[in-house]
Amino acid sequence: MPPLSILIWLPVACGLLGAALGAFGQTDASSGTDVQPPRLRTPGVLALIGSLGALGLAIGYIADYKAGGPSLQHVTDTIWISSLGIHYKVAVTGLNVFLVGLTTLLFAVATLSAALRKWDRPALFFFQFMLAESAVLGAFLAQDLALFVAFFDLMLIPFYFLTGGWGRDPGRVRATIKLVIYTLVGSLLMLAAAIATGVLAAQDGGGHITFALSALQANQLPRGSQEWIFLFFAAAFLVKMPAFPLHGWMPDAYRAMPTEVLMVFSGVLSKVGAYGFLAIVLPLYPRGAVHYQTLMLLIALISIIYGSLQAFSQTDARLIAGYSSVAQLGFITLGIFALNSQGAQGALLQMVNHGLVVAPILFIIALLAQRSGGSEDIRAMGGIAFRAPVLATLFLIVSLATLAMPGSSNFVGEFLILLGTFKAKLAIAIIAFSGVVLASVYALRLFIRSMHNRVGPRVSSSDIGILDGAVLVPVVAVIVFFALYPQLALHRSEGSVKRAVAQVSAGSGQRLLAARGPVVACPPAAAQREEGLTCNSSARRTAPVAEVSGTLGAAK
Amino acid sequence: MSAAAWPLLATVHLRGPHVDFGGLSPLIALLGGAVIVLMVGLIGSRWVRANVVPSLTLVALAAALGLTIWQWNSDKSIVSGALRVDDLALVLNLILIAGGACAVLLAWRSQAAHEAAHGEFHALLLASISGMSLLGSAQNMVALFVGLELLSIPLYVLCATEMSREHSLESGLKYLIIGSVGSATLLYGLAMIYGATGSTDFSAIAHALSSGGLATDPLTLTGIALCVAGLCFKSSVAPFHQWTPDVYEGAPTPVTALMAVTTKVAALGVFLRFFDVALIEAQGSWGPAVAVLATITIIVGNVGALGQSSLKRMLAYSSVAQAGYMLAGVVVATRLGVQATIFYLAIYLFMNMAAFAVIVARERETELADSIRSLAGLGRERPLLAWPMTISMLGLAGIPATAGFVGKFYLIDASVSGGYTWLGVVIVIGSMISLGYYLPVIATMWMTGAAEPAITSAEPPPETGGLPALAGGSPELDADWNPGATDDTGANGDGAVPAGARSQPEVVFVALLAGAATIFFGIVPQPLFDLVEHAGRGLGGLL
Amino acid sequence: MSATTWGWLVLLFPLLGTLVTAFGFRRLPGRSAGWIGTAAILLAFVAAVGALIALQGHTPAHRELVSSLWDYAVTVGIDARVSILVDPLSVFMILTVTGVSTLIHLYSISYMDRDRGFARYFAYLNFFVFSMLLLVLASNFMLLIVGWAFVGAASYLLISFWYRRTTATRAGIKAFVINVIGDVGLVLGTYFIFKHTHTLEFLGTFKATRAGAFGFGTNEGDLVAGCVLLLVGAFAKSAQIPLHTWLPDAMEGPTPVSSLIHAATMVTAGVYLIARMHPLFERAPAAQDVGAVAGAATLLIAGTIGLAQSDIKRVIAYSTMSQIGYMIMGVSVGAYAAGLFHLMTHAFFKALLFMAAGSIIGAMAGEQSLDRMGGFRRALPFTFGCFLVGGLALSGVPPFSGFFSKDEVLLVTGELGGWHWALYVIGYIGAFLTAIYTFRMIFRAFLGAPVPEARELEGGHPHHAEVPTNPATGEAEDTDVGFPGPTHAIAERALPMRIAMGLLAVGAVGAGLVQIPKLDFVIDDFLRPTFADASHYEPHTRNGILVIGLTLGTLLGLAGIALAYRVWVARPGTAKRLREQVPVGRALYTLFVNKWYFDELNDALIVRPVAAAGRFARDKVEQLFVQDALIGGTTGLVRAGSAAVRAAQNGFVRYYAALLVLGVAGVGFYFLLQT
Repeated sequence: MPPLSILIWLPVACGLLGAALGAFGQTDASSGTDVQPPRLRTPGVLALIGSLGALGLAIGYIADYKAGGPSLQHVTDTIWISSLGIHYKVAVTGLNVFLVGLTTLLFAVATLSAALRKWDRPALFFFQFMLAESAVLGAFLAQDLALFVAFFDLMLIPFYFLTGGWGRDPGRVRATIKLVIYTLVGSLLMLAAAIATGVLAAQDGGGHITFALSALQANQLPRGSQEWIFLFFAAAFLVKMPAFPLHGWMPDAYRAMPTEVLMVFSGVLSKVGAYGFLAIVLPLYPRGAVHYQTLMLLIALISIIYGSLQAFSQTDARLIAGYSSVAQLGFITLGIFALNSQGAQGALLQMVNHGLVVAPILFIIALLAQRSGGSEDIRAMGGIAFRAPVLATLFLIVSLATLAMPGSSNFVGEFLILLGTFKAKLAIAIIAFSGVVLASVYALRLFIRSMHNRVGPRVSSSDIGILDGAVLVPVVAVIVFFALYPQLALHRSEGSVKRAVAQVSAGSGQRLLAARGPVVACPPAAAQREEGLTCNSSARRTAPVAEVSGTLGAAK
Repeated sequence: MSAAAWPLLATVHLRGPHVDFGGLSPLIALLGGAVIVLMVGLIGSRWVRANVVPSLTLVALAAALGLTIWQWNSDKSIVSGALRVDDLALVLNLILIAGGACAVLLAWRSQAAHEAAHGEFHALLLASISGMSLLGSAQNMVALFVGLELLSIPLYVLCATEMSREHSLESGLKYLIIGSVGSATLLYGLAMIYGATGSTDFSAIAHALSSGGLATDPLTLTGIALCVAGLCFKSSVAPFHQWTPDVYEGAPTPVTALMAVTTKVAALGVFLRFFDVALIEAQGSWGPAVAVLATITIIVGNVGALGQSSLKRMLAYSSVAQAGYMLAGVVVATRLGVQATIFYLAIYLFMNMAAFAVIVARERETELADSIRSLAGLGRERPLLAWPMTISMLGLAGIPATAGFVGKFYLIDASVSGGYTWLGVVIVIGSMISLGYYLPVIATMWMTGAAEPAITSAEPPPETGGLPALAGGSPELDADWNPGATDDTGANGDGAVPAGARSQPEVVFVALLAGAATIFFGIVPQPLFDLVEHAGRGLGGLL
Repeated sequence: MSATTWGWLVLLFPLLGTLVTAFGFRRLPGRSAGWIGTAAILLAFVAAVGALIALQGHTPAHRELVSSLWDYAVTVGIDARVSILVDPLSVFMILTVTGVSTLIHLYSISYMDRDRGFARYFAYLNFFVFSMLLLVLASNFMLLIVGWAFVGAASYLLISFWYRRTTATRAGIKAFVINVIGDVGLVLGTYFIFKHTHTLEFLGTFKATRAGAFGFGTNEGDLVAGCVLLLVGAFAKSAQIPLHTWLPDAMEGPTPVSSLIHAATMVTAGVYLIARMHPLFERAPAAQDVGAVAGAATLLIAGTIGLAQSDIKRVIAYSTMSQIGYMIMGVSVGAYAAGLFHLMTHAFFKALLFMAAGSIIGAMAGEQSLDRMGGFRRALPFTFGCFLVGGLALSGVPPFSGFFSKDEVLLVTGELGGWHWALYVIGYIGAFLTAIYTFRMIFRAFLGAPVPEARELEGGHPHHAEVPTNPATGEAEDTDVGFPGPTHAIAERALPMRIAMGLLAVGAVGAGLVQIPKLDFVIDDFLRPTFADASHYEPHTRNGILVIGLTLGTLLGLAGIALAYRVWVARPGTAKRLREQVPVGRALYTLFVNKWYFDELNDALIVRPVAAAGRFARDKVEQLFVQDALIGGTTGLVRAGSAAVRAAQNGFVRYYAALLVLGVAGVGFYFLLQT
C-alpha cells in the first residue's frame, strides 16, 4: 500500500489543481442557481477524481488491515516541528480504519452529488470541500496529539466557508459564525489541555517533550492533571458531537448548510468527537475518565432522551435528522463511557453506522423537498411513495437502519453499547432503552409523514433519477452489506478497542499512582532546559524554579 | 562583566575610547539614511520627492539589514556596555527593519507622506526605527530611555502628518501627551532603581539585586512598579492601553502599521532585556503582577475589539490583546518564554502587515475609509487582497496551518512549562473571544456582495458633539449586522471598483508577501524556530 | 439431505420469493407475482416436510441439530452466528407456519386480484413468512431477536399496506412501536440471561443453566427478571394484556393479512418463545405464574370485549387474543404440547374464519360492521359453511379440532391443582364466552332478513359503493393506492379462495384427531425430545377430571351457542334491551364496547405525556435554556464587557490620565505589598 500521506493529501491536492484550472476556465461564476442540466466542470471532475481515489485507497487499507497485527499499521513518522516535539505521525489502527472508509465514502458520494450541480464559484467551493476531506482524514489518522489538535481545528475552517458562502439564507452567516465559534471554543480548550499534557508528561517523566500518543500513553499524568485535562477534552468533543446542552449551534447550522456539505458534516465530523474520546481520552486520561464516568453517562443519557423528544416534535425534516443525531451520538457516548470492551466496540461500530444512515437521510430529505415544492417541512410532504417506489424503498431501508432495527448493523452496535452499559450501570442502561423506543417513533414518523398518508398540498412525486440513484444506492448497499456481515468491522477493530479500554477497564490504574511521586518534588522541565544550556545560572534560577513548582502545584 | 570592564581599563592607559563601529553600523546606517533622506527631500522636483525619497529609505533599510546580518553571531557590548550586540538584538533588528520596509511601501503613495513633504516623513520613520533598534539592544537604563524617546518623538509627529485630517492631528496630540506621561513614569522608575542599586547597568543591577536582600526593598519595588507601568504604556498593555485605539484609528494607516508592529517589537524586546535580565531576581514579585496585567490585557483587548466597525480600531484592540499574549512569554522568565515571545513578534509582523496593507488598499479604492464594510465582496472582486486578509485574520485567531497557531502553541507551551498553566488557559479563552471579531471580517469578504456606496451615507459619522473627534471610537457595529444580507446584489456584482484600484502594486505585494509568509511559517516553522533559538541563546548567555 | 439443509431451504424460498417479487414488480406480467409468492411458500412447506422426515431419521436423543453459515457478531465475549436450530419444536412450527401461509397466499391471489399494489403485497407477504420462519429456526438470541423484529416490521408494512389511509398508517406505527417495546423486553431479558451464561446460543444457554449458571435452586433473581422480560416480548407479539392494543387496530390491513398475522405467524411467536425457553422458565416458577395469570386475564377480558364489538374483523381479532391467552396460559403452566397443539388447531380455524369474513366484506364492498350485515345464508352458502365450521371449532364443540386442544390445555392446568383451579375455571368461563360471541357474529351475519347487498348478490351482481369512504374517519378513500372492498373477492366467485378455505375447513374439522386423550398422542410423542427435561410434560390423565373437562367443555360450548341463538335470532332486540334497560348490562356494555379503556389508559399514561414533553423540549428548553441562557448568556456577558470598554474609551485625555494614574497606583500598591 502507498504511504498514508497520499490518502490524506490527495483530495486537497486535487482541489487545489481544480481551483487553479477552474480559475482560468471559469466563465460564469455569478449566478448560483442549479436549474440547468447538470454539467461537469473541471473543479468538480478533479474533486471527484480526488475523492474517488481516496475512497479506493481507503478500501485498500481496510482490505490490507491485519486484525492480529501491530496496533499501528502503515505508520508514517517524521518530525514536523522539532522545537516543539511535534511529529507528523499518522497510522492506521483498528479504531480509525473504518472511520476513514466512512469518510472517504461519504465525501465521494457527496462530491458526486455536488459535481452534478451548478455552483457559484465552483473552483473555490470544491477546493474548500476537498480541504475539508483532507483535514478530517488527518484528524482520524493522526497519532500525535498536537497533530490531531491541529487537524481538529483546521477541519472547521472549510466548513465555515462552505456554509457561509454557499449556505441558504436567511441567517447563513450568523449560523456559520455561531457554528465555528461554538465548536472552536471547545477545541481551543483542548489545545491548551493537549499542550499541558505534553509539557507535564515531559516534566514528570523528566524526558524530552513529545506528543506521540504512544509515548503519552506509556507515561501517564498524575490524577489531578488528568481530571482537569479530561474536562477540557470532553468540552471539545461534546460540542462537536453535539451533546446536550452543548448543541446550541446545531439547529441553525443544519438549516443553513448546503445538502452535500451537511451530509459530510453530520456524517463524519460528529464522529471525530466520539473517535477522540475513544482513541485519545480513554488511553491518555484513564483516571479522568473513570472519575467522570457517571457525569458523562448522564450527559449521554440526557442527550439520548432530549434528542429523541426533539426529533419527534420538530417538523423541519433536517432538524429531525439533526436531533436524531444528537440522540444517536448520545448512545455512542454511552457506549464509550461504559468503560468496557463491549460498550467501546459497540460505540465504534455505531459511529460508522450512524454516518452511513444520516448522510443518505439528509440526501433523501433534499430529494423529498424537490418533490414537495421545495419545502423541507414534513407538513408539506405526504403520499410521495406512490409514484416513487424505489425512493420509498431506499428511504424505508435507511429509516429502519436509523431506528436500529434488529438485523441492521446499527442494532448490533446498540446491542453491544447497551450490553456494555448494562454491565457498567444497570439503571442507566434501562432508562437508555427508552431511547430505542423513541427512535422507532421519530424515524417512522419522518418516513410516514413524507412518504405515506394523504398527498401534500404542493407535492408532485416522481421516482428517483439515475444520477441521484448513483449517489444514494452505494451508501444503501454498504448499509445492507454491514447488516449482513458486521463481523467484518468487529473482527478488525476488536484488538484496538481492547487496547483502548485496557487502562480504564483495569480500574483507576493504581500502578501509575505508585510510579509517580508528588508533582512539586520533580524539577520542572523549564528549569532543566535552563540548566542544560546555561552554566552560570543555577543559583540564580532557584527562585523562579520555586515559583514554577509552586504555581504548578496550584494549577492542579 | 569582563566586556563591560574593557573601556574602564582603556581610560586608565589614557587612550581614546575604543569604538566598535561594526557593532554600531546598523544604527549608523539608519540614522545616516535619515539625514540623507531629509536632504533629498528638500529637492524641488515633485517626482524626485515622491519616488526617490522612498527608494532611498528602502536603500537605507536594506543597508541596515545587510549590516545586521554581517554582525550575525557576534555577542559583544559596545559603547562602554551601554549597548549589547547579540543575536537577540540582531533578530529584533531584522523584524524592525522588515516592518519599516513594509511601512515605507505602504506609505509610497499615501496622503500622509505627501502632506509631510516626503523627506520629513521618511526621515522621521527611519529615526524612529533606529530608536527601536537602540532600545532592542539597550544594556543600561540610560540607553533604554534614550532609545525610548528616540522611538517615540518621531512617532508623535508621524501620527499627525496628515495635517488635513483632524483625526490625525488629534491622535498625534493624544499620543504625545499620554506617551510623555508614560515616559515620565518610566523615568521615575529607572531613577528609583538606580537609587536602590546604585547602578544603571543591567547586569550590575542584577548582581546588586542578587547579593543582599534588595529584591524586597521598597525603593526597588516602587521603581520596578513604575517601570512596569511605563513599559506597559509603550506596549499598550491594559490598563495603560487607552491611547492605542484612538491613536491607531486617527493616525495615517501606514504609520499605524508601523506602530502596531515595530513599537511592540521594541517594547517587548526591552521588556525581555530589562525584566528577564536586570530584574530577574525580583521575578518572584513582578512575575505575578505582570501575569495579572497580561490577563487583564487579553480580556480587555479582545472584548474591546468586538463589534468595532473601524478595522484600524479593531486591529488596535487586537494588538492590545496580542501584547497580552506575548507578555506571557515575559512572565515565565524562562528561555522558552523568551523564544516564544520573539517568535510571536516575528509572525505578528507578517499577520498585521497583511491586514494593514489590505486596509491601505481599500482606503484608496473605496470611499469607506477603514470601515469593515469596505471589504464587502472583496473575495469576489479582489481575491488577491481577500486572501491575505483572510490568512491574516485566521492567523491572528490562531487557526492551524497559519503561523498564528504555532505562535500560540509556543506561548502556551512556554507558560505551562513555566508553571503558569492558568495563563495558558487565559490565552485560549482570549482567542475564543477574538473569533468574535476576526471571523466577521472574513464573512464580510467572502460571504457578501460588493459594497454599495449607499452604505457610506448610511454609516453615521463619529459623534463629534461635545466630544473629541475620536470619542468612544467608531460607532458600534450593530451586533447582528448580517453580512449575508447584501448577498443578492453581491451575487452578480463585480462591484464598481474606483479607478486606480489596481495601480498600487507595492501594497498588494506587501499583502501577498506577508500572507504567504504567514502560511509558510505555519506549515514549516522550523527555520523561524532556529532563528529564534539563536536569539534566545543570546539572552540566555546573560541570564 | 440433512435436516438442517432442509431448514436452510425453508428460509431460502420465501426470501427468494420476496426478492423476485420486489425487484420484478415492474416487469412481472399480470398476476404472476402472486403465483411466484405462493409457490415460494409452498416450496418452503415441502422443505419443511423434508426437514421433518430427515429429523425423524435421527434417534430421539439426537433431534437437536444446529447449523451455522457465517459469523455475525463474534467479538468481545458475544457469539452471534447466523445459525439455525432444527429440532421437533422448530419443525412443528415451520410446518404449521408454511402450511397455513401457503393457503393464505393462495387465497390472496384472488382477494387482492385487482389491487394496485399486487406485487408489493406479495413481496411483503413472503417477507413476513420469511421473518416468522427465521424467528422459529433461529438457534441463538441474536437471530431470534432479528426474526422477532422482522416480523414486527413486516406486520407494520402489511397493516399500513393501504398507506394513504391515515387510519392504516396510524395503526401501523402503533403496532410497530408496541412491538419495539417487546423487542426491548426481549433484549433486556437476553442481557440478564447472558450475564450468567456468557453465550447467546440456545443450547449453550440451556446447558449452562443445567450446569448451574443460575444456581441449582429456583427463582434466582436475575433469571426471574430475565424470564419476565422475555414475557414482555412475548406479550407484545402475542397481544397479551397490557400490550394488546395494537392487535384490533391491525385490522386495517387487508383481510388475508389479518388471517396471516392471527393464524399462523405473528401472534403465535410469544407462545413459541415460552416453549423454546422452557428450560429457563422451569427454573423460574415466579415468571411462569406471571405468564399464566396474564394469559388467563387476557382470555377472559378479550372474550368480554368480543361480545360487544360490531366490526366483524375486530370480533375475530379479540377471539384471537383470547385464544392466544389459552396458549400462553398453557405453555406457562408447563402444558407445552397442549399449548402448541392448540396453536396448530387455532391456526386452521382462525385462518378459515378470517377468510370467510373477507368473503363477506367483499360482498359488502368493504363494509365491516355487523350492524349492516344479515341474511347472507343464501347469498354466500360456501362462506357460510366455512364460517360455521370455523365457529364450531372455535367454540370447542366436539369433534371439531378446537375442542380437543383447548380442553387439553385446561386439563393440564387443572391437574396442577392449588390456585391453578382459578385458571381452570376462568378457562371454562372463557370457553362459554367464546361460543356466545362467535355465534352472535355468525347469526347476525348470515341469519335474519337479507340486507340489500345480500339480495343483490343473490341476484348475481355484487354491490358497489358509489363513493367509497373510510368508515373509521369518513374521509373519501384514495383510489391510487387502494382500500378494502372494491375488488369483490367473494369465495363463491373465486376458485383459489374456495380451495384455500376448503382445505382449512378440513383441517379445522380434523386436526383435533391427531391427539385424542387416551387414544393417540402424536403431538406429545413428536415434541417429546424437545421437552424431555420438562417437569410435568404430559397429563397423567386421571379419568375423573378428564371426563369432567370434556363434558363441561362440550356443554358450555353448546350452551353458549344456544344462548346466542336465543338472544340474536329467536328474540331479536334482546341484546338492545339488556344494554339499555338493565343498569348492570349498560355498565358492562360500555366497559366492553370501550375495550376496558385500555387505549385511553395508554394515551393518558404514555402517549400524551411523552408528546407534551417533546413540545416542552422544543418550545421551552431549547429556547430558554440552550439558546437564551447558555448562548445568549455568554455572548451577553462578552457584549457587556465590550460595552464597558467602550464606555471607558470616551476620548477625553483627562479621563485617560485619570485611569492611568489609577493604574500606576494599583501596580505600585501591589509591589509595596511585596515588601
